[in-house]
Amino acid sequence: MLASILASGLAAGAIYALVGVTYNTMFSTSRVMSFTAGQLAMLGGVFGSMFTLKLGMPIVVGLLLTLIGCAIIGIITEFVAVRPVLKSLDQHLYVLSTLALALMIQQVAAIKWGTEPQPFPRLIGLGSGVFDEKFWLPVVACAITILGLEYLYRRTLVGRAFVAIAEDNFAARALGLPERNLRVASYALAGVVGGIAGFSGGELLLAFFANGALLNFYGFVPVALGGLGNNRGAVVGGLALGLFQQAANFLVGGIFSSVAVFALFIVVLLAAPQGLFGASTARRV
Amino acid sequence: MAISRRDVILGSAGALGAATFSFPKPAIAQTEPIKIGCLAAMTGPSSAPTIGFNRGVYFAADAINAAGGVKGRKLEIVMRDTQGDPTKAVNATQELISQAKVHGIWGPLNSGEALATTPIMARAKIPNIHPCVVETLIDTTKFPNAFRMAPSNSQWDDAVRNYCLNILKVKKIAVIGDTTGYGVTAVGASVAAFKKDGADVVYQANIDATQPDMTPDLLRAKNAGAEVIVVWSVTTGMEARMFNTRAAMNWDVAFVGHPSLSSGEIAGLVEKPANWEKVYAIGYKSVSYDGAGKLPAKTQDLVDRLAKAKVAMNDTLLWWIAGGIDAIELFAKGVETSGSTEGPGIVAYLNSLSKYPGYFGDYTFNPTQHNGYPTDEIVMSQASTARNGTFALAPGYT
Repeated sequence: MLASILASGLAAGAIYALVGVTYNTMFSTSRVMSFTAGQLAMLGGVFGSMFTLKLGMPIVVGLLLTLIGCAIIGIITEFVAVRPVLKSLDQHLYVLSTLALALMIQQVAAIKWGTEPQPFPRLIGLGSGVFDEKFWLPVVACAITILGLEYLYRRTLVGRAFVAIAEDNFAARALGLPERNLRVASYALAGVVGGIAGFSGGELLLAFFANGALLNFYGFVPVALGGLGNNRGAVVGGLALGLFQQAANFLVGGIFSSVAVFALFIVVLLAAPQGLFGASTARRV
Repeated sequence: MAISRRDVILGSAGALGAATFSFPKPAIAQTEPIKIGCLAAMTGPSSAPTIGFNRGVYFAADAINAAGGVKGRKLEIVMRDTQGDPTKAVNATQELISQAKVHGIWGPLNSGEALATTPIMARAKIPNIHPCVVETLIDTTKFPNAFRMAPSNSQWDDAVRNYCLNILKVKKIAVIGDTTGYGVTAVGASVAAFKKDGADVVYQANIDATQPDMTPDLLRAKNAGAEVIVVWSVTTGMEARMFNTRAAMNWDVAFVGHPSLSSGEIAGLVEKPANWEKVYAIGYKSVSYDGAGKLPAKTQDLVDRLAKAKVAMNDTLLWWIAGGIDAIELFAKGVETSGSTEGPGIVAYLNSLSKYPGYFGDYTFNPTQHNGYPTDEIVMSQASTARNGTFALAPGYT
């Protein structure tokens, strides 16, 4: 039982963590919580299945096209749901605009792809039982993504520009950084991260339009637990969520496990409103 | 002769009274087509049954018209796409009744829409035949014009219970459903009925259909000593995950339950075909083949006719096609027998049916019972044996 909890808990947790990172990547350059994050991960599974199983493309080509497709959806999010409401961030109109776009993505997926889950291909064909690739692939993908993002943010000029925008938007613009282009790029990057979440978790979650809403919800929990904008916090929060959820599945069963997860979530937020790894920020008045 | 004022008044009153009597309709009215409205979710996520039903509807209408129609009157199918949306179904119903002036309505084809449209049709007293499973859609007091020609939820439940207790002869039951309203209600009703019949329900659960790993629930069911798992869900992803998990656990327990267990999509979701064996889904005698691969003679005759008419059967279920044919033929017989397209005549005809031999089943209706499908024609099918929309009978049937 313990092995099963660890295997599926870590796998689900890694997917939640990647969706959390998707939220953070979009938030960092726009200060917007875009509720399309889960839909991007859903599309990662749907595109992956479509390119590889339906269109018969090789896995690598399917992965590349999936990531490109998700990046385009990320850019569309910025243009359609974020840019028009950036001037009135304090009114939180982005909640409405990004939720509306998320619903549109979900409905189009349901109509064009179908409302039943579709199979996702075996990507490598390694392992069985609790060591099956469907359990360890999301964990590996999560680790590689985090390392890649750390490299991007710390060692590359573009990454440092992302960080500068995230730190102080006005100062970065004053220094001549192309804030708008960087924001578009960050939404494309978020699309890629979401696509990786869906593609690596495809064997576990299948290519299913309803995964979007689920991942929107469970992907938000690690962001809140780990602290907004904190990728490391999102990873720790995501893995903890996955393990706790799976343990609750074994101990108390399906419906009650969701109750247990959100009871814990509320308790943590009551104890640490800024998240376990977030720091409270001073606001100039 | 002098005409008095009294004569004028009497004469006027007589003329006025005579005017209120109906005159015989001109002959032209008897050549007008018989209009049958169809509320069908032709597009959208719940369109799969419609595709099958519509093939039967048009096949039946074409066959009747080719044979000269009903007493010389042609059938006209007035099709409306509801897209599975109750609001659109309501609008289409009102349009069919008030604008298109149909003589009867077939559908809607899913319960969500039917819950919205049935009261409207009752107010308009329009004869209505539908295949929707929700119990409350049939109420001869509130909806005396509505007839169900497919099983209700409770009939499915009875058939599953009968198979588990009397054919598989198991007593320790696990009942699992999804977390939708349907899943929760169906699991509750199933558990209560099993307990009433003396079975030991050792495990019951409602699982989120998107839960990626089914090991926790199947492990608990196994540890509780379950001898069969009854499934009430329409989610093929969840069902396939359960079959895969059962195989990973090396557990040979049988799954019995909802027709979606035999959905073609499961073939692509199970890790290997063997995982889909020992799964028994609700099916129907009329569209099941026996151990020798033979369908009932009447059904085989229908299949031959459908094949001759180039009606595709390999991507749908035969009972959907057969149900569509039966519905149209019932309306046509109603007009033929009552001699009129008036609603009361068609309703009276339907109320008089006893074991009417349709292709899908033998229907029986009377003024106080509008659930027309016989429970004993509901059987379990081997879920993975689809062939032209028909299935092999599950073990235990002769």
